[in-house]
Amino acid sequence: LTAGNKIFHLGPCRVSLSITEIRAGFNAIKASIQARDPIKTLSILSHPYSLHKVKASDRCCIALHLFDFYVDKVFKHCKAEDSYLNRKISSIANSFLSARRKLEQCHQQNQCPCGQESDEKLEQVLVNYEGLNVTSAAIKSLGELDILLDWM
Amino acid sequence: SGELYCSLPNPRNVRFESVNMKNVLRWSAPEGTGDGVLYKVKYSVYGVGKWIRKPECRNINRTWCDLSSETSDYEEQYYASVKAFLNGMCSNWTETTRFNPLTDTKIDPPMVSVSSTEKSISILLTAPEKWKRSPEGKSISLLQVYPGLQYNVSVLNKKTKKRWFFSISNNTLVVPWLEPETAYCVSAQIHVTTPLLHSGFSNEQCIATLKDQTTK
Amino acid sequence: EDVLLPAPQNISILSTNMKHFLTWSPLTVQKETVRYSVEFQGEYEREYANESWIPICECSLVTSTVCNITEDISATVAYKLRVRAYIGVRRSEWGTLKGFFSPITTSLTPPLMKVIADGYHLLVKLEDMGPAFQFCVVYWKKGQESRMQQKVVKEVSSVVHLDTMEAGAAYCVKAQTYVEAINRSSSFSQTQCVRTQGDRSMWL
Repeated sequence: LTAGNKIFHLGPCRVSLSITEIRAGFNAIKASIQARDPIKTLSILSHPYSLHKVKASDRCCIALHLFDFYVDKVFKHCKAEDSYLNRKISSIANSFLSARRKLEQCHQQNQCPCGQESDEKLEQVLVNYEGLNVTSAAIKSLGELDILLDWM
Repeated sequence: SGELYCSLPNPRNVRFESVNMKNVLRWSAPEGTGDGVLYKVKYSVYGVGKWIRKPECRNINRTWCDLSSETSDYEEQYYASVKAFLNGMCSNWTETTRFNPLTDTKIDPPMVSVSSTEKSISILLTAPEKWKRSPEGKSISLLQVYPGLQYNVSVLNKKTKKRWFFSISNNTLVVPWLEPETAYCVSAQIHVTTPLLHSGFSNEQCIATLKDQTTK
Repeated sequence: EDVLLPAPQNISILSTNMKHFLTWSPLTVQKETVRYSVEFQGEYEREYANESWIPICECSLVTSTVCNITEDISATVAYKLRVRAYIGVRRSEWGTLKGFFSPITTSLTPPLMKVIADGYHLLVKLEDMGPAFQFCVVYWKKGQESRMQQKVVKEVSSVVHLDTMEAGAAYCVKAQTYVEAINRSSSFSQTQCVRTQGDRSMWL
């Protein structure tokens, strides 16, 4: 089995991200985190429409917005009683930081255009998030990490 | 209809078993129940508000239900649930964990076909197809679903018992400069890095290089 | 609560090939068993989680003075690490690693490699160093150093096929590891050359 950076084509932005550590960390906690999310009728990232419906040109901006969303809002409210979960969440959160830094480079090189659609999509994510109490929203968002990774 | 008194034990180990995105819901009968138990099944798309009954899996006595058609969009994620009935009693609905067809499916090995000349063998690999509703349906190779798909190819010289490995992205491989009249056995595995998935190795396909015509 | 114990000293990191170990000097107290606990703090914890520390349970109240921190130090950010000593209910202040540690600074050693000539085929057997590693294998026909070829090997399940060789020619091979997560390579291994003669490799 091999780990692997991958070149992500997010609209005009070409960025090499090592998502493997994030996926490995998520796979280790997926069952446990998703089991703590009883609300099956709402998705933070996919409601009302899937990330896959987003225009190609907006992909980089939405990815950057979503990385900010996870770093600024989600991880800090995912404190678990279980030490193993906390360590894995820390691993994911720190990996998000270094991935976000690379995405920001695209932003600084003007390869990360933010159109109306990306603003609307992020607005919708925040509305979905604020529609729940903060812990439920954070756990649900963490449980949807594969939706973000699969989309990227 | 009003729910019956639900004191029957629940179906056990309710889960999706998926191969090449043929997604089958499977479960075990409730503890301590013999024959005669019937089941019904429902499923839901994660993030969408309603459960949907599966008519073909209503009042069935088998312990599986093919939900491939209902879960064929691999950009979505799903739940499914089963309820058991026996002698006027019923169980609670028992759910799966969240099912992600893209990451939770198993991949079959590739199909391997080989041909030979006096001093070389040619290997053609075919990735399995994604499940489709009917044989006439549009074929989608897993290569299209997983763009980073690669093949690991093993070539065994039956005479020297030495095995070589090749890692290739395209689906053809020619191994030149081999010994004439020698049997070689080939097997191959699929490997995807994002998400991390790999198939088992295929069954070995053996072929012999031809007799060297120049050494009359 | 009286803090009598001195904080652990000489705290340092040993990191080779993406395996990271925290070590410190033992505290010696006559007829007492000293135990230690280790915690880490990533950049995320410093900047977004009130500088919180996370315990490593495999290294909680242990008598050893070495802790494998590889699984927790998985992102390419700056980490802080600290150790505390315990004797019964008595404990020391935290001893903190000077500065930060990031996996980017791990030392990478050249891979163990064995070159094989099997008939007209040039093959290489590489040491499995874990999923984070790939190998850049460079090979050339002896005497034609200007026409080196390169192959990236990601799977090291067994003997990897490099290329076919001209009869009687000698070929040389060297390899280095590459870790994509930190975008760094090791130095090259020793060069190994082989020449084909029927079915036996001939080392040169």
